[in-house]
This record gives sequence, structure tokens and C-alpha cells, in this order.
Amino acid sequence: MGKPKLAFFDFTGCEGCQIEFTNLGEEAILALLEHVDIVEFREAMTETTTERIDIALVEGSFTREKDRERLQSIRKRSRIVIAYGACACTGGINALRNHQDDYHECVYGADARMPHLQSGPALPISAAIKVDYYAHGCPASKDELVRILSALLHNDTPLIPSYPVCVECKRNETVCRFDEGDYCMGMVARAGCGAPCPALGIPCEACRGFVDEPNLRSLETVLMERAGFSQERAIGKSRMFTANLRS
Amino acid sequence: MTDRYITEEAFGPFVNAMIASTRVIGPVAKRSTFAYEQLESESDLRLDFDVTVLPPKKVFFPPAQQLVRFDGDTVEGCIEPVDTVLLGVHFYDVKGIDMTDFLFRANYADYNYLAQREATTIVASNIQAISPRAFWDSVGIEVQPKGHDAFLTKIDGGYLLETKTAKGDALITLGDFREATAGEVQAAREVNAAVMGRCPERLAYSTDAVATRVRESFGEEEMWDELAERCFSCGSCNTVCPTCYCFDVSDSWNLDQKSGVRTRYWDACLTREFAAVTGAGGSKENFREHHSSRFRHRFMRKTTYLNEKLGGPACVGCGRCSRACTADIADPVRVITTIMERTS
Amino acid sequence: MSHDNTHDHGCQCEKESLFLPRQAKILHTSKPTESEKHFTLQMSDGQPFVFEPGQILEVGVMGYGEIPIGIASSPTRQGTFDIVVRTVGRVSTAINGKDVGDTLTVRGPLGHGFPVDQLRGKDVLVVAGGIGLCPTRSLIQYIMDTREDFGRFVLFYGARDPLQLLFTEDRVHWRASKVVEYHETVDRADVHWTGNVGVIPTLFHKVHISPETRVVICGPPVMFRYVIAELDALGISRENIYVDLERRMKCGVGKCGHCQINDKYVCIDGPVFTYAEIESLEEAI
Repeated sequence: MGKPKLAFFDFTGCEGCQIEFTNLGEEAILALLEHVDIVEFREAMTETTTERIDIALVEGSFTREKDRERLQSIRKRSRIVIAYGACACTGGINALRNHQDDYHECVYGADARMPHLQSGPALPISAAIKVDYYAHGCPASKDELVRILSALLHNDTPLIPSYPVCVECKRNETVCRFDEGDYCMGMVARAGCGAPCPALGIPCEACRGFVDEPNLRSLETVLMERAGFSQERAIGKSRMFTANLRS
Repeated sequence: MTDRYITEEAFGPFVNAMIASTRVIGPVAKRSTFAYEQLESESDLRLDFDVTVLPPKKVFFPPAQQLVRFDGDTVEGCIEPVDTVLLGVHFYDVKGIDMTDFLFRANYADYNYLAQREATTIVASNIQAISPRAFWDSVGIEVQPKGHDAFLTKIDGGYLLETKTAKGDALITLGDFREATAGEVQAAREVNAAVMGRCPERLAYSTDAVATRVRESFGEEEMWDELAERCFSCGSCNTVCPTCYCFDVSDSWNLDQKSGVRTRYWDACLTREFAAVTGAGGSKENFREHHSSRFRHRFMRKTTYLNEKLGGPACVGCGRCSRACTADIADPVRVITTIMERTS
Repeated sequence: MSHDNTHDHGCQCEKESLFLPRQAKILHTSKPTESEKHFTLQMSDGQPFVFEPGQILEVGVMGYGEIPIGIASSPTRQGTFDIVVRTVGRVSTAINGKDVGDTLTVRGPLGHGFPVDQLRGKDVLVVAGGIGLCPTRSLIQYIMDTREDFGRFVLFYGARDPLQLLFTEDRVHWRASKVVEYHETVDRADVHWTGNVGVIPTLFHKVHISPETRVVICGPPVMFRYVIAELDALGISRENIYVDLERRMKCGVGKCGHCQINDKYVCIDGPVFTYAEIESLEEAI
């Protein structure tokens, strides 16, 4: 048996997750290529494939009905489908539009009604096809992707943390954003990224989505009481990457 | 095992001499607070710190510690202690280290902890600043700090270094110390006595009274639900605690997909899946399913379960959990007081 | 704080890692059910492996992890030992992917097993539900191998349905045996089943058990409550009831905290406890 075939596909998104993969660097990518063949990767190679694929990394959210067919075709010829990055996992930041109706004019002005700008609600790719594993984050963590691929190469189930980002901040001894007079959503955000943002003084926006059973009422209270947010802002803030996860 | 004096001017060179001879870890400024870090120079050292984000247990029990390396069928342990001076440990953290020493030594001695512990010289230091959530002068006061090799107290014009062990004595040769006078020893005693009673928070109940009442409150579900209502199950109260020592173990592969490492990571009993097991057909059995039962478990561990083994509560009053809890519901003084004031 | 109850090795002696596993060679495997695999193992280093019935092992595959497994054979059967692993999660899947000639890593034996000394000379009832038969099999074999040391020996075994019944060869042997009174039942019968139907507690209505009997229980949490209710009705002292508990465990050496029940660690204080020891512990059963 040859090496497993790996392909990247992009839907509605910035393709930053593909770029983030290239940030692994030459040494790590070449080491990985000892174990997988990359057969399609728009940000890094011109070749594409219509062959069967072992591992499909699908990036971007599902926003147009006509994308359903392409997603289904990818699913059909892939042994394993990984939702790759926040947009594919949860709808990501694109899903903010699902709670608003005036953005078209605001963003595109006179062109707002042009046909190529028409799209539906931003949904996770799981709204169209079955997803086997989730590589969360905006961008998806390159190191976590290596862990996921390593697990799959050993017929193992990738281990995705279910605890919140606070655990990783503490392991890093990061000074809490709230102690610096800032806000943060790390208490309800799924870890696995290694918590780089708070370490750099940037609040966690929960780009990896929520932990299972997030205490959202407490989140709103803490954002209001400790970060001085209005209720409206507290609710809106927690939607940035998780609009589809909120009611 | 002597009392030595060193002038303020000679203290910096003493610290630099230690840094030149070994790894020295001490409190340094980190953004708006403090953390134990390896010192590059004496000027990094901030003995006027109030409390660090993480307790010094991280020196012996790092947040991520490799346990076993493997390559195919070959496995090897990785106990790799580094000679270290841990400088500037407040007495409450000395108590915490003494507890983790005991717990990692009990039953099966864990040399992944103990080897680094034995390779470390601990120099305690007096408290020059008090953190806003501290209550170390009113919790477990019957438990004496011990296990440190020397105690450093800032007095007028210099420092008194009281050595407790041969490891502590060995430091004296690195600095311009002289025999301390009786007056200097007395001055240090007064400095250390003066901070007691000055903590902003105070636990008004004895260890035994708390242990009895908290243990008896186990079944008061409604109270625990209320206390834990805002809990995020984030585990920050655990991960910053000097006496918490739970961990998770997981394996990872190197890029060659043949070799790898087994690592232990700090874990937290407040997190949702801490006590969950996978059963038949992938079903989950969670032995502490609700956040209030996990919240309660922590208070039981801190105030009653371990008391017999440790000779006191598994809490040293550092106040780190109170500060780390974003919902501000973890403060032992407030929680214990609420429980004590509510009659069963 | 006292350090007296510890083996104080001091700084000079060998600092062996608690986490460094030994290798065990797989000599034989079988698949008693769809999801379970039975392994017969031998230590690769040729060193003897000394254990008590009811003790546990941390069994694993490097790169995947370790899980706690009760030893499923008696120390009276020398040279090899058995484990049965049910495929439920990542690590058990990796273990059950291994076959004859492969190796597994093991650490142990760990914990306190069945109190054989307390059982000797007494009537013994073993109640095993589902996969709970695996750790108790170490005691069953032990009693049968040293049969004259024990009084009456009764064994109750129940499974969800006939396809889940383990150790077919053993059961054939037990059914025919005069040294064990063996009773089995299934919650749900299939067309081929002619035996007892009903949950394990129903067996208590078919067999006389004297109040002096020592009882060993291992099975799913829900089973404990019902069996203990039956034992209470028989007037059996809770001091004489031994329960074999299961918890999440990572280290197996009383450190990692996952298996805590109040102040007890299942891995070192157990996994076998008297019911009297744990009945007052909330979260135990």
C-alpha cells in the first residue's frame, strides 16, 4: 500500500488555514511527505485530482446551495473528511451574517444586488456532508493538524481537547486578560491551540468554538461585571466565532 | 545551620554568584504580576513580589513533563534533574511544596517529581508585599512551613539568611556573609511576625471545625448548586493551586511516526471529563457529571479529605484560586464562610 | 506531616520511573464476543510476574496510551497471565489491534486485590456482571485451584444477552464441575437460549445463600445497588461484602487523581474495597 493521499479543498473562507499549514516549514513538511502524498493544495501547488483520496481537509464554510454538490463529491471519494478550520467546523466568522440583514448594502454599496454576491447563511460543512474529524481554529493550528494526521496514520482517533483555553493559559503561566482589565472568552472556548493569543496580550475569541456545555450565562455576567460590557455587547462578543452555536 | 547577615550592596553579587554556578529560579515581574522564572541577573529578582501566577511546584512538577520516550519497541524513562536554587519562596508556598513532597513520595515514590526536588535548594523569603486575596495567616496555622534549606529575611540595610540544611549552608560560600548578631536575628523575627494578621481576607474558623462542617455539607445539593452556579469548569482554581497535583497522561508521535513521547500534563478535577470513563458502545459514565459536584469535590479535597494525611488542610491561603477564577466564585474564604454560616 | 509510611529510598538509590512499562509478549488471543479480546501474556524480560487475584495492570501500546485492566487469571496458573479488553475507546482499540507475537506494555501489578486470606475457610459467593467476570476470574481460578481451603463456592454470572457471555470453555467446565455451584443468567434471551432469563438479582431467589457467606461483587455500577439490596435482605454483613470498582485511571500509582472517590484512590486503596469501607463515601456506587 502506498502512502495515504491528502488533499486540501476550499469553500467560503480566506484560505488562511492552508497558508498556516505551510508555516510548518520545509523541514516538517518534508518529514510529513515521507508519510503522506499531497495531491491537491491550491495555495501551494497547481495539480488537482479527481481520484480517490484518503484524507480530505475541507476549508471554508458552506454558504451556497451549489457548493453542496462539490462537497458531496469530495465526501464520496474521500475515506476521511476533516473540517479544517473555524469556517468549516462551525461556520466561523462568516456566520456573523446569519444574525444580521443590513450587511449587503453596508459592505458592497451600489453593487449589493450583483448576482455573484448572493449567498445563503454561512453553515458548517457538516450541514452538507458527514464530517469525521474537526481541526478547529482560525487559523487551524498547524501543530494540531500534525497531531491529527499522526493519529490517523496510526489508525488512531485524534484527541481533541474538551477542556477550555484557561487550562492552557495556566499551563503557560499567561497573565489572565481579566487581571489586565481586558475581557476574554477562554473560559468557554475549546482548547487545543496552546493559547497563543492571551500569551501575546490578545483576548481569546473562542475561534475553536465552545467546549461542550459552556456556561454562557456566566460568560455574559463576567463580560459585563468584570470587563464592563453592556449586555448587548456581551452577547454580541461571544458570537464572533460562534454565531451558529448561540441561540 | 547558622544565621548569617549580608548587606544590601553585597546581596546582588551573591545572587549573581549563584547564577554563575547553577540554575537559579526566582520571582520576576510578568506584566502586571509576578512569575517564577530562571534568573539571568540579580536585577530580574523581585523579592518584593506579592504572589506569583503559578506556585513554585512547577519547578518539580512542570505543567508538561515527559515521562517516557519510545522508539519502536524501545522505551526509556526520562528523569533528568537539573541542579537548581529556588530563591524567594514565601512560607505558604513552602508549606505547599512540603505537601506535594509528601504526596509524590507516599505509597509509590514518584522520582519524576522527587529527583528534581532533591536536586533543588529552596531559599524561602519573607513576605514584603501582601496580595489582595491572601489569607495565609488564618488557614492551617497549625501546620509549620518546613522542607526549605534556608530562609532569607530583608531587614534594615541587608538580609538575614537562616540556613536549615547542609544544602543551605553551601550557599554561604557564594556571598560576602558574616555571622549575624542577636539584634539582626531578632529584627528578622519581628519582620516575619509583623506580616501575620495583615492579610486582607480572613478565615474565622479552625481547621477541624471547617473539616467537620464541610464534610457534613456534602449532601446539601441546593447550596452546592448555588455556590457553583457561575462555574465555567475551567479548572483555573486547580491549575494555580500549590497543593493540586492531578495530571493527565498522553502520547504523541514525532514526525518520523515511529518514535514519540509520553507526557504528563497538569489536569484539573473541575473540568468536565476529569472523572469520565468510556463504557460499552462508546457510552460515557461520568462519576462527577455536574459542575456543582466537581466544585464540591475540590472543596472537600482542600478542607477535609487530605487533612489526616497532611496534618492540616490542603490549602495554604495563597489566594491564587480567588484571583484566577474569572467568575470569582472560588475564593475559599467566602465559600467556607458561606458553608459555616449556613446551618445544616 | 509524616513521611514515615513511605519507603524512604533517600537520594542515593536507583531512581526508577513509575511510568516506565515492561513489555509483555502475546502468546495467545481469542475473541469471546464481538467487542472483547482475550489475551494470554508473558513478560518479555523472563522475570517472574507476581500478583494477587483482583490486582490491576496498566496495559498499553506506546503512542496510544495505557488503560487499567484487571488481571483475568489466577497467580496459581504460573508463567502466563490473562487479560480481557473490551473495545470501547482509543487505547482499547489499539490494544485489541495487537496479535500473537506482538507485545503490549504493562505496569503493575497495582492496587489491592481480593482479600484471599479473609475468604479462606469461608463460604464464598462471587457475583459477576458483564465484563466484571474478567477480574473475578482471577479469584474463581484461585479458589478452584486451592479448593480445599474454601467452604462452599457459589458463582453468579449475568450478561446482557447470550452473545455477551464470556469464557465459553470456562463456563462449560463450571457447569459440569462439582466444586463450584455455577448459575448464569441473561437479561434478554435469544431463540437458542434455554437458561435463566432476568437480571442477576433474580438468581438470589433460586439459590440459598447463608448469612455467613463472604461475597465478591464486580459489574456495572447499576448492578451493585440491586445486588447489595439482596445481600442486605439475606442479613450478610457489609464487612463481608467486597466490591471491585472501576474508575478512570491514568497513573495507577495514587498520583494523577482521576480515580479519587472522596479521600480514596481506587488504584492503590482498591480496586477491591469492603462495602462497609465505601458505603458512606458519596460518589462510590
